[in-house]
Amino acid sequence: MKSGVKFSFLDLFLFAVISGVAVWAFFRISLVLHYKWDWSGAFTYIARYDETSGSYVSGLLLEGLGMTVRLSIWSSLLASLIGLIAGIMKLSEKMFLKWIAIFYIGIVRNIPSIVFIFIFYFFISSQITLVLNLDEIFTGLEKYDRILSFLFSPSSMLTLFISAVLTLALYEGAYMAEIVRAGIESIEKGQVEAADALGFTWIGKMRYIVLPQAFKRILPPMAGQIISVIKDSAIVSVISVQELTFRGTELMASSYRTYEIWIMITAMYFIVTYGCAVAVRYIEKSMERRGYV
Amino acid sequence: MKKFIVLLIAVVTVISGCAKKDQGNLLEDIKKRGTLRIGMSTFVPWAMNDREGKLIGFEIDVAAELAKDMGVKAEFVPTKWSGIIPALLTGKFDLIIGGMGITEERMQKVDFSDPYDYSGMSIVASRKKAPGLNSLDDFNKKGVVIAARLGTTAAEAVKKYFPDAEIKLFEDEAQAIQELLTDRVHAVVASAPLPEFQAIKYSDRFYLPLQDTFTKEPIGFAMRKGEEKAKNYFNAWIKEKHEDGFLKEKKRYWFRSRDWDSRLR
Repeated sequence: MKSGVKFSFLDLFLFAVISGVAVWAFFRISLVLHYKWDWSGAFTYIARYDETSGSYVSGLLLEGLGMTVRLSIWSSLLASLIGLIAGIMKLSEKMFLKWIAIFYIGIVRNIPSIVFIFIFYFFISSQITLVLNLDEIFTGLEKYDRILSFLFSPSSMLTLFISAVLTLALYEGAYMAEIVRAGIESIEKGQVEAADALGFTWIGKMRYIVLPQAFKRILPPMAGQIISVIKDSAIVSVISVQELTFRGTELMASSYRTYEIWIMITAMYFIVTYGCAVAVRYIEKSMERRGYV
Repeated sequence: MKKFIVLLIAVVTVISGCAKKDQGNLLEDIKKRGTLRIGMSTFVPWAMNDREGKLIGFEIDVAAELAKDMGVKAEFVPTKWSGIIPALLTGKFDLIIGGMGITEERMQKVDFSDPYDYSGMSIVASRKKAPGLNSLDDFNKKGVVIAARLGTTAAEAVKKYFPDAEIKLFEDEAQAIQELLTDRVHAVVASAPLPEFQAIKYSDRFYLPLQDTFTKEPIGFAMRKGEEKAKNYFNAWIKEKHEDGFLKEKKRYWFRSRDWDSRLR
C-alpha cells in the first residue's frame, strides 16, 4: 500500500480474534447480568419529535452534551489564560510570584480531581459567589435567558455554571501551566541572551522573542489538554452541574436503563473528543504545510 | 510588591467579612426573588424524569403546590443525594423537598418542618442467592450482604436492623438493583414502594421476604438552621394540606396507583 501500512495474515487473524471476543462478551452481558435490554424509545433521550410544536426538540442527553461543550469551551479558555500566567510566573525571577505558581501547581497536580472539585466548590467558590452577590444579579437576567442559555446556561443555573467553569479551569490550568513552562524553557538560551543584549524589556522579550517561538511548541500538547478538559468535565457531575454524565445518571435513576444510557453517553463523548482530535490533527498538518511549525 | 500584598489582605478581609449570610429572612428572600428554589434528587416515584425529560413525582407536585400558594415560581435544582445537605448549607437552594426522612443526625445540621408524609423501608431479595427468607432475623446474619443507597435512611435502617450483615452502598438505587440482579448481594433495602416495583418487574428473579414495610419514618422539608419564620409558615402550610386532603390525594396517585407509569416511556 502507498501509505506503507501492510496487512498481513497475522493482523487479519488478530482482528478476527478481537472482534470475536467483543461479540462473545456482548452476549455474555445479558447472561451474567440478567439484564433486560430495553432500547425502546431510548433515543428520545437524545432527540424526539414534538407533536404539539411539529419540530424536533433535544432530549435530556443532548442538552447535557450541550452543557458539556459549553462548559469545556469556557473552561479551556480560562484555563489557557491561567496556565499562561502561572507558567510564566513559575519562571519569574521574583521569588514571591514564583512561589505562588509553584504552590498552586503543586497542590492542584497532587490531589485527586474529585477532591479538589468538592473542596473548591463548597468552601471557596460559594464564598466568592456570595460576596459578589451573583445570585441576586442573575435573577434579574431572566429576559436574556435565550442568549444566556446559548452561551452559558439558563440564568437560574448561572452561579453553578460559573463555579463549575472556575473549578475546572483552575484544575486544568495547573497542567497547562506546566506545558507553557516547558515550552518557554525549550527556547534556546541564545535567543533570550540576544534579546537582553538588544536591550528588550522583560515584557518585550516575552512578547516578541520568546512566546511566539514557544507557542509553536506549546500548541500540540495544549490541544491534547483541551481534549482532556472535555473528558474531565464529567467529574463536575458530582457537584450537580447538569452536564452529560449528570443527566445520564439522573435518567438511570428514573428509568433503570443503566447500560443503555451508559452506552449512549460513551458514544456521545467519543464523537465529540474524537472529532476534536481529528480537527487538531488537520490543523497541525495544514500549519506544517504552510511552514509555521 | 508591597501594594500587591496590601491588596491581597484587603480582598481576604472583605471576603471573610461578607461571607456571613444574614439569617432568618428566608421567606422575604424567596418573595423578593420571585422563585422558590428546591433541592431534590431522583427517587422513583418521588421525583423522576418523564418521557419528555420533565420532572414529575410526588415531591414535585408538593413543591409546585407550595410555590403556587406562596405566589412564586418553583425552580428545581437536581442534586446528587450524597451532597444534598452541604449544598443546602452553602445556599445552592432554599429548601430540600426530596422525601428526606427526619433523623437526629440530620437535625444536627439542618432544621425540619413537621412531617408531611411518612415512608417506610421495605426489602427485596434475590430468589437464587437468598431463597425462602421471610423475617428480619433471617437477614441479620454473618455473610449476608445488603445493598442500599448512600446517605439515605435506608442505609441507616440496614445498619440498625441488620448489624451482623454486611452493607454495600451505592450512589443510586438503579446500581443497587443491578447488583442484586447479578447476585452479588442478597437483598436491597429502600423506601417503599421501590422494592415492591422491582419485585414486580423482575418477578422471576426477585421476591419480597416481608409483606409490609419494617420501619415508619416521618418525612419533612429540610432548611438551614435559624429560619424560624419560614419554618412556622411551612408547618402551617403542611397542616392545611393535610386537612384539605391534598397530600392524601397525591400520595394515593403516586404510591397506590401506577397510572403514571405510562408517562415515563
